[in-house]
Amino acid sequence: MSPEGSPAIEARGLTKRYGKLLAVDSIDFDISDGEIFGFLGPNGAGKTTTVMMLTTFLEPTAGTIRIHGHDLPRESLEARALMGIVPEESNIYTELTAEGNLRFAGKVYRMPRKARKQRARELLEIFGLSDRAHVKAQEFSRGMRRRLTVAMALIHNPKILFLDEPIAGLDVQSARYIKTLVRDLNESGVTVFLTTHQIEVASELCHRVAIIDHGRIATIGTPDELKTSIESVQTVAVTFDAPEGDGIPSLAGLPGVNHEVKSGNGRRLYTDSPADVIPAVVNFSREHGLRIIGLNTLGPSLEDVFLKITGQEVGSVTASSEGEGKRGGKRGKGGMAG
Amino acid sequence: MKRANFWSRTVGGLSQAWAIAAKDLRTYYFNPPMVMFGLIMPVLLFFSFSVRRGVGLSPQTGITHLMSMILFFTASTTGPVILILERRTRTLDRLMTAPLSMGCLLFGKTLVGVVFAVVVAVIPLIIGLAVFHINVHNPALLVGVIILSAMSFSALGVWFGSFPARSVGTVMMPSTLLRWPLLFVSGIFIPLERMPVWARIISHISPLTYAHDAVTHAVSGSGCQPAVLDVMLLPAFLILFLFMAVRLYRRVRRLGY
Repeated sequence: MSPEGSPAIEARGLTKRYGKLLAVDSIDFDISDGEIFGFLGPNGAGKTTTVMMLTTFLEPTAGTIRIHGHDLPRESLEARALMGIVPEESNIYTELTAEGNLRFAGKVYRMPRKARKQRARELLEIFGLSDRAHVKAQEFSRGMRRRLTVAMALIHNPKILFLDEPIAGLDVQSARYIKTLVRDLNESGVTVFLTTHQIEVASELCHRVAIIDHGRIATIGTPDELKTSIESVQTVAVTFDAPEGDGIPSLAGLPGVNHEVKSGNGRRLYTDSPADVIPAVVNFSREHGLRIIGLNTLGPSLEDVFLKITGQEVGSVTASSEGEGKRGGKRGKGGMAG
Repeated sequence: MKRANFWSRTVGGLSQAWAIAAKDLRTYYFNPPMVMFGLIMPVLLFFSFSVRRGVGLSPQTGITHLMSMILFFTASTTGPVILILERRTRTLDRLMTAPLSMGCLLFGKTLVGVVFAVVVAVIPLIIGLAVFHINVHNPALLVGVIILSAMSFSALGVWFGSFPARSVGTVMMPSTLLRWPLLFVSGIFIPLERMPVWARIISHISPLTYAHDAVTHAVSGSGCQPAVLDVMLLPAFLILFLFMAVRLYRRVRRLGY
């Protein structure tokens, strides 16, 4: 029985050492019941190791973990009964049917026969797999396997759901489906611990985000708090009607521009003072006979926060990794079309 | 209250173990490494070393040898094959983070080997009874010994499979190298009384020695050592191998793999 009001997850001084390598260095955090918590970090930062310790897969070298008040590893069986785990790689039994997978998961979680049969049917319906219930999972597409993996994690109505890269490699439809599902689950009271490389996903879904780097939590807060913490990083995004490669000179030398990044047929100019850069850009376009078709000022994204905290230069992201229109639309402070 | 709790946990644990075994039986019954190492190999060994010698090998003795070898190889093959395939596909992670103890999980994996080995070992017995009209001296003992032997050999396989490897070959090769010498010192090809002293000493650490002796007791009514000793030591091997496997997994949980 979990103590009333205790956090869903409590980690204190959590440390993991692999020989001489310190993978996780005495981290502390609490995750409230009913929260969607994002856990971000570059490769090798200690993200996976932390999740493995929280899910009882790995024992910490030092520190304590409590899952709804249950101490790990002492009360790991009680804690595991409260968790649903969706790993990055879909780990279903391909020789079993979709329903067979769900029923087996129910048996392992000691659900009574009638309850697991009913819950399996319910989940097949929710995840749009009812018509494939008796088909072996080896014939499933990647998106269907992912849905079945999530369904298996939910068979016992867990209180905490661990999701590792839930939409990586999925088509747009499946990705949207999973994101909607995460929100719905959270609304029904499930705490979600989300590990992802896709910062936009964390920004979109999470109530709070932690960024781990070199085994330590570099920052923790709501996405807006984190963005505000590096408010000095601002961008002016300009788009010209000339196609890229038509000899548009560099704008890096304009007053106030710290860094320039090519982005489609436009440029992103990182600056501390957009007010100085905008007139300079307008003058630049007149001088070079270019017509501005879009001009936006943008605040820092969660990605900018991530890059700044993890020591990479802000604005060093290539244009292909970002959607200019989406970014402008989502976080634009002001804009004008020209 | 405590006793009720203990029984409820035990029954729950056993039902989880059986769920794992039943799933594995459906999933792996025709897996190529299982057929190769668990079925074809013991039959080939039998024909290579027992039938070929052809000296004084009665159908009764031949069936006893074949059953012992099938029990040994088939039961001890399932652990490495299933555990490592599941580790590779990450389905083992699912079980390791489910609310069941490592002991229950590994006991479930042990049961798979038991069922496979018993089903396969019964085939030569049926042939022996139907075709060669052999007599079984103590049928009840034979049933018990077959199950106990399969359990201890399967637990040995589970221990092999608990080494943190991701390819079946990585574990199957060294485990086969370890199993072969046990086969030669266990009194199947050379009777224990004809072995040199050093080989007889080694034979005492092999579960196959006791399994083969117990099967011989059950079929022929006589053996090299008391049947009671064989029957008592086989479950001891089961517990020992499962204990070592659980310890290995605890180490893996502590160190990572």
